[in-house]
Amino acid sequence: MADQEKKPVDTAAIAGMLKKKEPEMKRILNYCVHCSICAESCFLYMAHNGDPQYMPSFKVINSLGKLYKKKGNVDREFLEGIKGLVWGNCALCHRCYCPIGIDIPRMIDFTRSICRSEGVYPEQDGGESWL
Amino acid sequence: MIIAERKPLEEIKDMVKGYKKVLNVGCGGCTSICLAGGQKEVNTLNADLKKDLSSENIVLDIDAFVIERQCNYDFFEALDEMIANYDAVISMACGVGVQFVAERYPETPVFPALNTVFCGADRDIGWFEESCRTCGECVLAETAGICPVTRCAKGLFNGPCGGTRLDGTCEVDKDTPCAWYEIHKRLQAQGRLENIIKIKPPRQWENQTRRSLVQEDYKQRYIS
Repeated sequence: MADQEKKPVDTAAIAGMLKKKEPEMKRILNYCVHCSICAESCFLYMAHNGDPQYMPSFKVINSLGKLYKKKGNVDREFLEGIKGLVWGNCALCHRCYCPIGIDIPRMIDFTRSICRSEGVYPEQDGGESWL
Repeated sequence: MIIAERKPLEEIKDMVKGYKKVLNVGCGGCTSICLAGGQKEVNTLNADLKKDLSSENIVLDIDAFVIERQCNYDFFEALDEMIANYDAVISMACGVGVQFVAERYPETPVFPALNTVFCGADRDIGWFEESCRTCGECVLAETAGICPVTRCAKGLFNGPCGGTRLDGTCEVDKDTPCAWYEIHKRLQAQGRLENIIKIKPPRQWENQTRRSLVQEDYKQRYIS
């Protein structure tokens, strides 16, 4: 996938991936009432003194939510930009709790899949911190 | 974290020979971090396999895919949709992940591309050191945070043996510090040297069956 890093993003492929999960994404974007209960169940949010960038809902809305709103029409810079949110700010520990029942880790996992499909993923030997 | 390393290419090649369409699945967890089975390593292995097999005039149709964790079925949804398109799967997860994939798709041959080596810590980029043998009887409280099971060549609970050299190294290797010498030094520095004369009963080796754990707070959930 190394060559992918130089190629333009395949926006049609991303749109296709998003289409498959459209009902779920509509649910999270429509039903999240920003109650912030998920925040306190996130150990990273608590460990970072309540930094909103670690709030589970923030991570989804500002990554997958934006991808969905743009209908997948994003560039590599955008995908590189959300990499920190979905990898660096989330351990995918599955401990975040949503009273409405939104499966937040599933959405983060899906966002990572979209990034991976375009060759965007953390370089473990490039000095990028895991957490 | 679990540390793994890639098997020799010959061994992996022998596993997949005879299969036409193979999916190589990486893991986004430990084996990504230890630089053995993440997306980059999946792509490298596929390129190596294709190149090597093509020199034998064998065309291998191999695809790459990574799921975030092969030790948790919550991450398998995308793989579920793909698996029927392949004759065999290579897993670049640890032994846990390989077994989980094989259990999920019992009709598909699943081959490990990695050897799972140990539980360890990162010393530096690409440099890992074994720290724990997951023995299930942790004595670190009494040994000043130095594991005698992992770091003593004999895994002694009541060391040291008579093989400590005068410079504090182990008789099996002059570059390996004697674990019990290190334990003694640290306990002395902490003023807790009385720990060293405590006798620990022998380990219950006969209990080495497959382990399973349900945390106390979750027992009601699984045990009726």
